[in-house]
Amino acid sequence: MRPPIPAITAPVTRRKLNHYGSAGSRVFDTLNVVLLIMLGLLTILPFIFVIAGSFAHDAEISQRGFFLWPEAATLETYRFVFSTPVFPRALAITIGVTVVGTLVQVLMTFLMAYPLSRRALPGRNMILNLVIFTMVFSGGMIPTFLVVRDLGLIDTYFALFLPLAINPFYLIIVKNFFQELPEELQESARIDGATEVGVFWRIILPLSKPILATFALFYAVGIWNDYMSPLLYINDSTKWTLQMFVRQVTISAEALGNLDPNYVPPAQSLKFAVIVVATLPILMFYPFLQKHFTKGMLIGSVKG
Amino acid sequence: MSTPTISGPRKDAVAPSQRKVSVLTKLNHYKWLYLMLIPGIAYFAVFKYAPMYGITIAFQDYLPFLGYSGSPWVGFKHFQALFSGPDFPRIMGNTLILAALHVLITFPAPIIVALLLNELRIEWVKRAVQSSIYIPHFLGWTIVASLTFLLFGLDPGPITKVASSLLGHQVDFLADPAWFRPLIILQSLWKGTGWGTIIYLAALTGVDPNLYEAARIDGASRWRQMWHITLPAIRSTVVVMAILLAGNLLDTGFEQIYLMMNSLNRSVADVFDTYVYIMGITQGAFSYSTAVGLFKAAIGIVLIFGANWLARKFGQSGLF
Amino acid sequence: MKRRTFLGLSSAATAAALAGCGTSNKTTTSSDLSTLTVMAPVLDVQAPSKDGLLQKAIQEYAGRTLDITWVPNANYTDRLTVTLAGNQLPHLMVVTSKSPTFVRSALAGAFWDLTDRLKAYPNLVAANPDITKNASVNGKSFGVFRLRDPMRTSVTYRNDWLTKLGLQLPKTTDDLYEVAKAFKSLSGGAIIIPKFNGYGNGSPFDIIETWFGAPNGWGERGGKLVPSFDTDEYLEADRWIKKLVDEKLINADFATMDPTKWNDPFVQGKGGIILDTFSRTTQIYGLFKALDATDYGRSVDFTGNLAGPHGMHSYPTIGYNGFIAVSKQSVKTAADLDTVLKFLDTMSAKKGQVLENNGIEGTSFTVDGSYAVFTKGGDADVVNNDVKSFAQLGTNPNGNLYYVTKPANATEQAVYERRLKTQEGDMTSAVQNPANALVSDTYMSKGAQLDQIIGDARLKYFAGQFTQDQYTAEIKRWHTEGGDQVIKEMNELYAK
Repeated sequence: MRPPIPAITAPVTRRKLNHYGSAGSRVFDTLNVVLLIMLGLLTILPFIFVIAGSFAHDAEISQRGFFLWPEAATLETYRFVFSTPVFPRALAITIGVTVVGTLVQVLMTFLMAYPLSRRALPGRNMILNLVIFTMVFSGGMIPTFLVVRDLGLIDTYFALFLPLAINPFYLIIVKNFFQELPEELQESARIDGATEVGVFWRIILPLSKPILATFALFYAVGIWNDYMSPLLYINDSTKWTLQMFVRQVTISAEALGNLDPNYVPPAQSLKFAVIVVATLPILMFYPFLQKHFTKGMLIGSVKG
Repeated sequence: MSTPTISGPRKDAVAPSQRKVSVLTKLNHYKWLYLMLIPGIAYFAVFKYAPMYGITIAFQDYLPFLGYSGSPWVGFKHFQALFSGPDFPRIMGNTLILAALHVLITFPAPIIVALLLNELRIEWVKRAVQSSIYIPHFLGWTIVASLTFLLFGLDPGPITKVASSLLGHQVDFLADPAWFRPLIILQSLWKGTGWGTIIYLAALTGVDPNLYEAARIDGASRWRQMWHITLPAIRSTVVVMAILLAGNLLDTGFEQIYLMMNSLNRSVADVFDTYVYIMGITQGAFSYSTAVGLFKAAIGIVLIFGANWLARKFGQSGLF
Repeated sequence: MKRRTFLGLSSAATAAALAGCGTSNKTTTSSDLSTLTVMAPVLDVQAPSKDGLLQKAIQEYAGRTLDITWVPNANYTDRLTVTLAGNQLPHLMVVTSKSPTFVRSALAGAFWDLTDRLKAYPNLVAANPDITKNASVNGKSFGVFRLRDPMRTSVTYRNDWLTKLGLQLPKTTDDLYEVAKAFKSLSGGAIIIPKFNGYGNGSPFDIIETWFGAPNGWGERGGKLVPSFDTDEYLEADRWIKKLVDEKLINADFATMDPTKWNDPFVQGKGGIILDTFSRTTQIYGLFKALDATDYGRSVDFTGNLAGPHGMHSYPTIGYNGFIAVSKQSVKTAADLDTVLKFLDTMSAKKGQVLENNGIEGTSFTVDGSYAVFTKGGDADVVNNDVKSFAQLGTNPNGNLYYVTKPANATEQAVYERRLKTQEGDMTSAVQNPANALVSDTYMSKGAQLDQIIGDARLKYFAGQFTQDQYTAEIKRWHTEGGDQVIKEMNELYAK
């Protein structure tokens, strides 16, 4: 018999709050808008420069310093990027790994966070201590590599998200979030006969939409931006991800230290184009999730 | 499969004298929770704890080819080298100063911006700003450094020109040690603030808009509304983030510093991570950097538990 | 129902994770060398496909299959590290530099000592014994080095400015000074120098110091090895450089300028002299060509090394970039080693070199006299791309026997021929660094820090933060903080 679940009311749409009236308040509002718009510009303009540079000729990039619109635009760089089989393939691979990886990581994190949010659970503190320990202590690159290798995960896509499946920081934050959810809901569900898993699945998760969205985003970005894992664990060049390319074209000769004298550095416009191709897809993920960040999503659930 | 019901107080509560049975019953009581823990625990066991033996190379002169069993043991040699090196006090000082600046400036910035965004009434501005401020997070440090050189460089740097005319003398942002820390903090702010607001904005979604309405009706000013409604909503998130920051206090980020460091500002720029890099591209690389990492981690764990204890004293739940 | 799916999902995920569905580990226990495993860095954005035409052609020529793991060079050293730690070394490994990790591993037995074996293979005998010396570890060769141009130093000028000012190409450092002064009056800048970390890495400062007669890194003075900064010529050179800095003949941001943008001020007309390599000269020609396809030859010109106040001294390169090392673990016996070396020998023969550096004759390029002309379109493009990576596998100790790319037009032809002559001429006065072959223990553990002391002090002196006395005091600090120990060890090794 299905336990009755208190209805969760629809998210309350934010009523447009009336103008407050005080002069100080209005000044604050204006300043706030101005400041935030400036912040928005400050953060988007350099990216526009990168985009503009990707459409420009190298000679122009050398000649002008910082610009927002190329004088002589060219599609040559993008044509090159998409004509090779490598980039589209890397794009597809990166998207695939990110989607699957994020699902796995979010699932594992939330699954572990819930039991740990129950204070009465025996052994909970010990487990938490062990988790916190791993936040600062780590065996290092080589032993982790050896473990991955011994599990047979070298050259598989699993190696791109399993070694980092649960971020202890995130785990703690999610756990804390669960702890703050009203106890009454869970209690009433249990009284009505729901199992722990049931409570988790039917009560906790739906209430966690903003948190789910947040950490889906964080994990997705983590996988997307990770270049160390593919570098260490992927041998087959047909399995390269986008970040391998970004590192290849943007790494400075300085940091490398010993560069082959025969090395011809990539065209500057190629650097920019690769960055754009590697960044735009993940950038679009956040606006996608933004609707889950509307206020008052949780409200109403306790009232019923 | 019958569904075990977990109801209120157990009707068949066991007497305390039968302890052994009680433990097992407890485990049984929570068995679904333990089951849910299995994947997570497996993960930590395999990917976090199994490789932990790697820490031991801090006490060896590790050579990858010789492996963990083949590399010679040197005890505390690397730690001695670290602490007795003539540069250590300077490195420690630089790292601590940068850490302090991060705590005072880079940490609160996303909180403030999140609060400001929360106060915005105009939806389209809010959405637009939210969509752009996190973009810098995606640009790697190489690009950030490149942009910094472009804008703050001596010759064509537009910002240098403006600053020089404002201050009346030629400013050399990139070479002058006095400007190094401000530039680093500026870069960190630019790159990290937008991204940092996300977690706080998520926390703010838990606030009932009706509370504001009610407060307004009661005559509360905007400031009081923020103080009594908004801030408490993110307080626990801020505390957790602060504790977590404490654990990584000495991490300054290698790449960012290394790209901005040069011969003229090295005296203020050199921090643990870059120092280790220079020491590390020579013999004893892995062992030395692991030793330093161990040192940082030891301090980090003390700070984490210390900060957590502090948070508990102030009535917050901290990490537990 | 849902609950069970849930648990099912999570346990499945765990199981899958633990069981893994990866490819089996490559074991290299067999002595079957019909397939050689190779690890090499790839500098380009794409790695060759193993089914590519070029790989097939090379495999056919060499008579064995190649299993190549292409690693992006951005973090090749990390890959090298885990490979060494993982004890599953491929048969052949490209080692990009004589890093302490490589040296220690080689001395610990990771790689075969090829010192006395190479002479049995005609194509692996070095045409230039200096390079073998440079590439050795205290005299031992732990791999076959990859040949690179031994002399690359070039000074690039704005030729149109020279013409306008009625000046000739400089031949001496005094000439350079005059030209620089004239350039400054024309455009406000002269010599462009970007940020270089450390010391002894081919920066314009190192080049100038060599021109003045200072040793290249280390030199013999009175029968003993001394570091270059202990010589009078070195300080003389630095004083001259400081004069140029003070007179604003070198860009003021020489300590901070982004090295990836070295060409920009030149193109923008903010300076007209660059001291670097011929690669830079080629790049600049290319940039000016993009701006003006017909007349660009008039805007750029170059010379090789210049004569200093004590005669002609040229700054050479070490002549190689890394090695191909043979793993002792996977190539177990001397007979196996012979097979592997024969493979490298075959690849260094003319036909092998052509495959690795030019491509497939007829398909991807045609021969025109002594040059190669690259074909475009379809298969040729793929091969031409792959060639860039396969060139990384080439060693060519016996000299470059492949075809040089045909210059695109008469201007570039003239440039190429003049460049060859300049390089040849400069080689006669090349100042080699006898310490290239020597590996001192203290230098291995403290070298980077010590180099930094000199590099920083030098720049601070130029920038005016140090007086000459403070500069020499810093050099003294190099000595006391380990430098003296290095000198001692170097001399002991040198005496052998």
